[in-house]
Amino acid sequence: MKKYQLGEFEEVVMLTVGVLYKDAYGVSIKKEIETRLSRGVSVGALQTALKRLEDKGYLKSFDGEATEERAGRPKKYFQITALGKKAMEHSKNTRDELWSAIPKVAWNAKLVTGHQSPVTGNRQVGN
Amino acid sequence: MSIASPPRLPLRFFRWFCHPKLRDSIEGDLMELYEERNVKTGKTKADIKFTIDVLLLFRPGIIRPVEGHQQLNNYGMLKNYLTISWRSLLKQKMYSLIKIGGFALGVAACLLIALFIKDELSYDKHYANHKQLYRILGVITENGDLRKGVAFPAPMASAIKEEFPEIVNAGRYNNSELFGAGASEVGAADKQDNAYDEGFVYFDQSLIDMLQLKFVYGNPKKALSQPGAIVITKRKADKYFPNENPVGKALIVNNQVDKPYTIGGVIEDFKTTSHLQFDFLIGMEGLEFWNGEQKSWGASNYATYFQVEEGVDVKSLETKISKEVIEKYVMPEMIAGGQSEENVRKFFTEKQAHLELQPIEKIHLFSEGIDDNLVYGDIRFVWLFGGVALFILLIAAINFINLSTAKSANRAKEVGLRKVVGSLRGNIINQFLSESVMFSIISFVLGLAIATVMMPYFNSISGKTIFIPWEEWWFAPSLLGLSVLVGIIAGIYPSFYLSSFKPIQVLKGTLTQGAKSSPLRSSLVIFQFTISIILLIGTMVIQKQMNFILNKKIGFDKEQVLLIQGTGTLGPQVVAFANELREVPQVAEVSTGDYLPVRGSKRNGNGFWNEGRKNIDPTVSSQFWRVDQFYLSALGIKLVEGRNFNRDLASDSSAIIINQKMAKELGGNMLGKRIGNYAGLWTVIGIVEDFHYESLREDIRPLGLALGLEASVLAVKLQAGDMNERIQSINKVWNKFAPHQPIRYSFLDDRYAAMYSDVQRMGKIFTSFSILAIVVACLGLFALSAFMVEQRSKEISVRLVLGASVNSVFQLLTWDFLRLVLISIVIAAPISWYLMSRWLEDYAYRTTIGWDVFVVSGVTSIFIALFTISFQSIKAAVMSPVKGLRSE
Repeated sequence: MKKYQLGEFEEVVMLTVGVLYKDAYGVSIKKEIETRLSRGVSVGALQTALKRLEDKGYLKSFDGEATEERAGRPKKYFQITALGKKAMEHSKNTRDELWSAIPKVAWNAKLVTGHQSPVTGNRQVGN
Repeated sequence: MSIASPPRLPLRFFRWFCHPKLRDSIEGDLMELYEERNVKTGKTKADIKFTIDVLLLFRPGIIRPVEGHQQLNNYGMLKNYLTISWRSLLKQKMYSLIKIGGFALGVAACLLIALFIKDELSYDKHYANHKQLYRILGVITENGDLRKGVAFPAPMASAIKEEFPEIVNAGRYNNSELFGAGASEVGAADKQDNAYDEGFVYFDQSLIDMLQLKFVYGNPKKALSQPGAIVITKRKADKYFPNENPVGKALIVNNQVDKPYTIGGVIEDFKTTSHLQFDFLIGMEGLEFWNGEQKSWGASNYATYFQVEEGVDVKSLETKISKEVIEKYVMPEMIAGGQSEENVRKFFTEKQAHLELQPIEKIHLFSEGIDDNLVYGDIRFVWLFGGVALFILLIAAINFINLSTAKSANRAKEVGLRKVVGSLRGNIINQFLSESVMFSIISFVLGLAIATVMMPYFNSISGKTIFIPWEEWWFAPSLLGLSVLVGIIAGIYPSFYLSSFKPIQVLKGTLTQGAKSSPLRSSLVIFQFTISIILLIGTMVIQKQMNFILNKKIGFDKEQVLLIQGTGTLGPQVVAFANELREVPQVAEVSTGDYLPVRGSKRNGNGFWNEGRKNIDPTVSSQFWRVDQFYLSALGIKLVEGRNFNRDLASDSSAIIINQKMAKELGGNMLGKRIGNYAGLWTVIGIVEDFHYESLREDIRPLGLALGLEASVLAVKLQAGDMNERIQSINKVWNKFAPHQPIRYSFLDDRYAAMYSDVQRMGKIFTSFSILAIVVACLGLFALSAFMVEQRSKEISVRLVLGASVNSVFQLLTWDFLRLVLISIVIAAPISWYLMSRWLEDYAYRTTIGWDVFVVSGVTSIFIALFTISFQSIKAAVMSPVKGLRSE
């Protein structure tokens, strides 16, 4: 469904905003993603994604308090909207559907050919 | 806690580009991160990371929109501007039509002329090496006049090429009719019929190499390397050898069956933008026109081209070549001919003789005064045309400005209201600028349509084959760009003017802008009419000169003379043909004479001297023509002294008839004396009155006539009467002699008129443009007078009610404008007098400009203006005053 277009990075951002709940603003989101996913996030990429999500109506923002270390600039907090929640659910559902649609045999076939995949790796050890 | 500050430059950059809505919060984030990094990793690393972050933020979505963040609102205003513009355009249909129509006419004229100029400037630029190709010119000063020539001795090309390492290649062509170049009767060897064709030339293989002519068939490197080889163009190959590769086939020229030419190659037709336009290139390999001709420095018949090395200083090369050729070859040749060295040196210093290298791409436009049977353009025409186009566009733009400001009263309320509800002056300026750009774009579209329609007519008067370059990538964008630019320029004054209204005055109704003619508007009208009148006077002077040329007594009778061409193929039978023609009752006289007193006929320049004074006196350079005993009577040339030729006298084979000019230059009293030239000694048996055998641009030059039989043209003098019938009977005789060759004839008076086709062309162009200028100017005047009447309708009504006569009202309304036209006449007269005197200086024989031209053009323009204005004035003067007064 075209209605709920959500890119990979966008989804990560949405989830992180959810994780942080009331404390989701630029720097905190950036740090959260960096620690949880151990990947670098530039301010530019993050802000672009946030603006796009806001334009789509998945996030809403409000200005928070200005602090000293921010040179008097307000924080801009983000919150997931109802539409955003739907989009995330939609995204999750489609993934789950896809997961469950993979036949069991596929995993075994991978095992036989000896491909190292994160899923089959454990089993090999067990044998 | 003190806060370390991030680097200023990236920060300022960020603040500049960032979308204002996002700026604060993102800047806060950046600051927070910076502070943290500053503590953790030190200032330097934090600075670098900050800069990187800023650079990575520079991406769409975060960069603010160019036109400000209130994009939507602006768009809405623009839409509103265009809507209002469109409505006001529809509301005042007449004014809009005049604004747009006049503009479109100006645009069309400009477009046509721009394409014309582009075409003129593109000549010879398609030759691959055009930057290195030069033609050599000989320049001498004679009686204060600069004379330029392109004909040089045969061995010069190779001599210079050998001596100067800077010269990569050299090549020549010879297009002189004396040697059979020009026009001929041609046929394929295996076919019987001949056809007449022009464009024969003797051509070097090396010139083909230099120009890199493109070959359809044959080997470009060896096309002319065999004796008797000929290269023809594609169109001629299609004509004589349809649907086949003609390389190796034979072509018979002028029925010389024993001397066929073998086709060595077929080239693509010369582009229309090439100064060389030939169709049959005859190879020079093994060719000599007389014994030792190719080695002789005594005769100049070859146009010579050079290809220089890249990066050579051409100016210094030119001086070197000039010195070398004159001192090493030309002077020794003259001294060997018997002249004293002193005399020769004197000749060269006196005449400032030198050689010039002319870049091939300048040949087309900068060859004025070179008479070598090629067709040239003229750089002055390019300037003239450009100027005229610009002026017409200006006249149209002035209409636009005048009407916009005059009609401003109608828009004043709108401006006032806009200002009251918050428009700034800048907004109003924007509004009127966008309106004028809209007008301009509409006009350009219309102008483009007009230009497309007028293109065939323009081509016919300018002698070009121009088309509108729709497919060129630059065409549409540049036209659009220009239309916006012109729209802005034309709209600047009106928009500043209109936007300056004070809302309170306007809304109170005290502002009556435009009722009186403002000084600016008046001077613009004067400008328009000055230009129009200058063009009008120019047109009349050109017409006058043309009439002068066509009706001038030229010393021979050009009427009723039929020229039968292509009789060279008859060989010796031509005499029998001429005799039989004389039997035809309506034929008065027949002369076999190739040398005719019109351009494009055979010419033969020679030096003459009095007997025994060969190397003592300077030679008299003269024409030396071979004619028959009927020449004088057929052309009606008057004998002033002595007698005509008599074939029965054996001594007349060395008799000569000279013109008065020649007699004068040789010292006068020439009858019975003997004079010499390269061919021997001649006894002067007669002197003829000077006649104009060249264009009237030049003085009559010396001329000698001797008996001979050169008969590729017959001049047939007819008695007055029905032409068709005569031609029929002549054709009958012709078919007896040459059944395989259709008769080809022209009339001497047509050929004479054709010599001045450029004058006629210029006349036509001037006529068209002056009409155009006057039409556009009158459109403006019409609209202005209509507006004036509208403004003063109350005043007129009151006057009429109080008893003013129709006549006095008419005068009142007309005088204002007529005054401007009168001033224009006063300004235009001296300017045009000066310009046209300069133009007439080109002619050795010219008409006088005279006061009649000024009176006629002045009266004409007054009448046209009066007619234009009176339409509105009369309407106003005869209207019922009630109409004007009813509204209050």
